[in-house]
Amino acid sequence: MSAPAITGNAVVKQFGETRAVDGVSLRIERGICYALLGPNGAGKSTLSKVIGGRIPADGGNVDVLGLDPWRQQVEVKSRLGVVLQDDAFDEELDVIGNLEIYGVFYWLRGSAFHEKVRALLKFMELDGRERMNIQELSGGMRRRLMIARALLNDPRVLLLDEPTTGLDPQVRHTIWAALRKLKAQGLTILLTTHYMEEAAQLAERVGILHKGKLIAEDSPQNLIEKHVPRWVLEFDAIGRADALQAIRALPRLSAAEQHGDRAFVYDNDHDRLAELVTMHKLDTHVRRASLEDVFLKLTGRSLNE
Amino acid sequence: MTAIEFGKSEPRVPTLTQRVLSVWYRHYRVYFKNFFANATPAVLEPLFFQFAIGFGIGRYLEKEFNGLPYAEFMAPGILGMTALYTASFEATHATYVRMQYQKTYDAMLSTPLTRRDIFMGEILWCATKGLMYAAIVGVVLALFGTISSPFGLLIPVAGFFTALAFAGLSFWVTSVVKNINQFQYYFTAFLTPLVYVSGLMFPVQELPWGLDWIAYVLPMFHVVETFRLIVSGPAHTSVEWVWACPLILVVTSVLLGAWGVRCMERRIK
Repeated sequence: MSAPAITGNAVVKQFGETRAVDGVSLRIERGICYALLGPNGAGKSTLSKVIGGRIPADGGNVDVLGLDPWRQQVEVKSRLGVVLQDDAFDEELDVIGNLEIYGVFYWLRGSAFHEKVRALLKFMELDGRERMNIQELSGGMRRRLMIARALLNDPRVLLLDEPTTGLDPQVRHTIWAALRKLKAQGLTILLTTHYMEEAAQLAERVGILHKGKLIAEDSPQNLIEKHVPRWVLEFDAIGRADALQAIRALPRLSAAEQHGDRAFVYDNDHDRLAELVTMHKLDTHVRRASLEDVFLKLTGRSLNE
Repeated sequence: MTAIEFGKSEPRVPTLTQRVLSVWYRHYRVYFKNFFANATPAVLEPLFFQFAIGFGIGRYLEKEFNGLPYAEFMAPGILGMTALYTASFEATHATYVRMQYQKTYDAMLSTPLTRRDIFMGEILWCATKGLMYAAIVGVVLALFGTISSPFGLLIPVAGFFTALAFAGLSFWVTSVVKNINQFQYYFTAFLTPLVYVSGLMFPVQELPWGLDWIAYVLPMFHVVETFRLIVSGPAHTSVEWVWACPLILVVTSVLLGAWGVRCMERRIK
């Protein structure tokens, strides 16, 4: 097996009094998608910035493709593709102009580069938009253009920060399909998100960050099996406070929790939960536990911050 | 399936020169997209000044200034002022907008560029704009006969170093302001009086209570004298030691430029 794409050893990043990243160790193999999940302020973006050579770590060490991402940031960033949350384009220029300028930052020019640009626009389903002004692009097009831009230098590792937040389902699936193709060609993807569905769709491994610490790490399936019972009954905790109270009083139930205005009742026995639905005339049905349930359980109420 | 292949080509690591030039090139591309809209005010403002005061009021002044009619006396300072304001605006407002609102530097930092590369490219661009505008205003002034020395061909060079100096100083200001409105203090309370006490509108010896010493320690005096030297010749400068002024300008601009880049490097998160 080749060396991992990214390793972090007891990584610490401090901002004044707060430890944004507090002793995180991780190992990301080549060619996989690793999703960093966590509530807002958990340290996901900070960790991603340390890995991307944007900011130095204050403790521990980080290795990206065998290089130190801070001290060798030019070499490291030449091999990375980064998609930020905010899409910073040069609004004065058209689609091609933006890609040309970004290419020059890698000193990529000439006809081979333009061929690459055309292929990337096609890959992200943006062909025919070459001469459009940035302001004319929809949110989904802008995001796809950001991904195309991040691929200009043929990166080995792709860092994605909330790539599909705020997009409609069609665009989201287009982007997910593109990311799967990239992974199939051997790219390593570090996905920062608090969108569970995205992590479940794309990631081989998931790390959950909470208050700067990596509190769980495994495949999505293993995380679910390890941390929550198999079945969930979810209902309106405010409107049906009576049912929640009655259910909480029952013996032998794995767990009944409230997050915001939703009640979650977990159990390994599907039929037991189904009985509760009938008994309390709940306007819902029993579903399989998902990554979201793991997330809610492990990071608790801070999701609502 | 797409024909495109990923993760196969050798990574390209740009050199320092390429990285700095790439930032310069970005500004060049964006700027020349709207060249006339961008350049017109920056060129017209100093020219209005020259026409209204130099030629306009100058006509009523019988006295000679450094042995020259007033309009000719004023022209070198106008060139210095052009480069000063061009660079100062670019390194304050424009830089701040790129930093805080357009997130230009965030995007740049995702590429091989380091913080230092970005601001070396920025300051090179500021200096280039100083060079361009000084040259344009210089051509107009030459057409109106206020440039008498063939060394006037050095106007762009002096414009470059003037802009470099004030871009450096302005970067320091940009690195400490809390919001975009605070630039007003820098422009109104520092740059404007600086221009007036630096021998642009009247010889510094005319300053009351021996205040000409203040002018000598401020960078703008050396800018104005340098332009005076190349535009009108050594016979019409304000001080005997005028030959030191270009040297002081070059040294100051390199020091201020390097310092400004350092300040901005630290400012960017």
